[in-house]
Amino acid sequence: MSTIHVKNISKSFGDTQAVKDVSFEVNPGEIFGLLGPNGSGKTTSIRVILDIYQPDSGSVEILDGPMTDEKLNRVGYLPEERGLYQDVEVNRCLSYLATLKGMSKAQIDKTLPAWLERFDLTEHQKKKNKELSKGMQQKAQLIAALIHDPEIIIIDEPFSALDPVNTQLVKDLLRELRSAGKTIVMSTHQMNQVETLCDRLVLIDYGKVLLEGGLSEIQDQFRTNQVIITTASPLPEKLEGVAKIEPMNGNFRLSPAEGINAQDLLGLLVNQGVRLNTFEVATPSLDEIFIQVVKKG
Amino acid sequence: MNKTLLVATYEYKHHVAKKRFWLTLLLLPLGFAILILLSMLLSRSSYDFRPIGLVDKADIISLEPDNSAKSTFFNPQIYLHTFPDEAGAKKAVETGEIQGFAVIPEGYLASYQLDYWTNKQPAGEVQSKIIGFISQNLLAAEEADPAILERLSSGNQISLESLDGKTKSDGTGWHKIFVPILIGILNLIVVMYSGGYLLQALVEEKENRTMEILLTSVPPREMMTGKIIGNLSVGLTQIAVWALILFAGLIIFSDRLSFLADIELSGSYLAVSLALLLISFIFTAALMATIGATMTSIQESQSVTGLIVLPMMLPFYFINVFISNPNGVVARLLSYIPLSAPLALSMRMAFTSVPAIEIAFVFALLIGLTVLMIWLASVAFKRGMLQYSQKLSLRSLFKKEANHA
Repeated sequence: MSTIHVKNISKSFGDTQAVKDVSFEVNPGEIFGLLGPNGSGKTTSIRVILDIYQPDSGSVEILDGPMTDEKLNRVGYLPEERGLYQDVEVNRCLSYLATLKGMSKAQIDKTLPAWLERFDLTEHQKKKNKELSKGMQQKAQLIAALIHDPEIIIIDEPFSALDPVNTQLVKDLLRELRSAGKTIVMSTHQMNQVETLCDRLVLIDYGKVLLEGGLSEIQDQFRTNQVIITTASPLPEKLEGVAKIEPMNGNFRLSPAEGINAQDLLGLLVNQGVRLNTFEVATPSLDEIFIQVVKKG
Repeated sequence: MNKTLLVATYEYKHHVAKKRFWLTLLLLPLGFAILILLSMLLSRSSYDFRPIGLVDKADIISLEPDNSAKSTFFNPQIYLHTFPDEAGAKKAVETGEIQGFAVIPEGYLASYQLDYWTNKQPAGEVQSKIIGFISQNLLAAEEADPAILERLSSGNQISLESLDGKTKSDGTGWHKIFVPILIGILNLIVVMYSGGYLLQALVEEKENRTMEILLTSVPPREMMTGKIIGNLSVGLTQIAVWALILFAGLIIFSDRLSFLADIELSGSYLAVSLALLLISFIFTAALMATIGATMTSIQESQSVTGLIVLPMMLPFYFINVFISNPNGVVARLLSYIPLSAPLALSMRMAFTSVPAIEIAFVFALLIGLTVLMIWLASVAFKRGMLQYSQKLSLRSLFKKEANHA
């Protein structure tokens, strides 16, 4: 049984079709990537899931049924457009937002200090939000999304404005939450983060689903028979069984000639006296897949 | 759990904790007090309150001047002293004991002319004091009822009444306007303050994108109701504090505000006026919230707020119409408009008897419009709060939701 089931949703704003017949499922305890270029319909899809918008057609099931007021407390949301009360102190703002998610004062008093500590905001908790740096505000916003221990976490660009240290902190946290059985929907443009975090993903463009599935399935789907090698000596200009040689950062990407597979190519290279340090079948990056799929439309 | 109370409590505490709230709360009455004190000081410095003398050569004064009223800073009295001759009175002027003296000449009863001797222009009160005292003595000589003098000095009162008996108006009872005007001013201040703050807060939440978080935490209806209750409570707190201060002031300065004793306040009149005020607050707050949800910047919303204040001020402009014809078309029309109703109906009730059926109709109308406005506010809230760069038109509020974002 999926945690979120989006069934053929469509949504228009005036003459603009933001989402068209989009369907996907998010399973319990997985990190699900919601990908797409700017204006592709990701945020609209998220807002339909959260019942901020009603779809023109289609439906969304969340935690075994339509969204209810009670279920709002079981969802944590980090929106694309960040927003905290600018003139309010960090701890007061977070406490208020936590009460709106159904937490009691005692629960907040017990939980909030640990979150502030974890995100290195304890010293800044009495400051007004507007006095914090962008990165700090981003961390405070993450606390607002997570403090009430939601079953479903929907986060839009969670790494924006974060330095590498804090990016790693958030990545570790997301993995930890997945291990704890939380369902996470992550929308981001940072494909490297999707590769390292997501179990499954959906790619949307012009409001339509272009690609959906497990990360490795998709990579397999787009895998070519190209290989990447590093050598102990320079490569000759031409090699038997190789159609194209592309140097890349000290490595070489080889495209085999027609009818040659990676196993055959390995034998041919050894036979031609190429001294190999490494030999690997090239796995397409999500960046490449993204560009390829979006261009094809 | 219903989150209305959580939102209302946060809004209330948030505003009450601000310096602006306390400054408004304390500085406004303080400002009034300073203003009143300054006018009193100016009054004291520009008038001479020293006693005046009276020399009776016509032999018409038989009564002793009544100097029993205590002269205080807030209620200064000009006492009257009689002198046997002009020389004694002149000497008293020279020593500063009195500010001047009047001489009643021997032929006064034929000429009714008085002479007044002084080095400074006397205040109007001096003249009325002397003439009043002479009149008293003349009437006492005729053994007339002292009440006659009182009636003569206060003049006649004319009541107007239409032939069908439905419209009655007491044109001289200007003081009756005091309570409705007070209600009108309170309405204006609270709406401008708490309603304005609600509007500003909503536009800010939209501008700083907090709204999306709130919309995924609290149902729009509960959010809007909570905000209205919270902000109204701030306004009502102010009114309660100012009412206490005013009450204290009335007690302290009761001797200076004797005309207020003429105001008759029935329980039903007060109940109707306060209930109207409350409904009007809620209506205006919902209206402000609707505007806040549809506007994209604070500057834009402030210009619209000006348009709301205009109908609230209308009864003030037509104050003469309310006094002379409280059941006329203008007065009635203004009683049916939510923004002007508290002041308009309250003024009419002060000057005439408004039929109970009409009061019930006004209440039903206002409550209906208020419920409609709250519904409209929650629709605007949900549809307009995520339109960060676009205004939400009034027409689009009533369209099917699918066409909006």
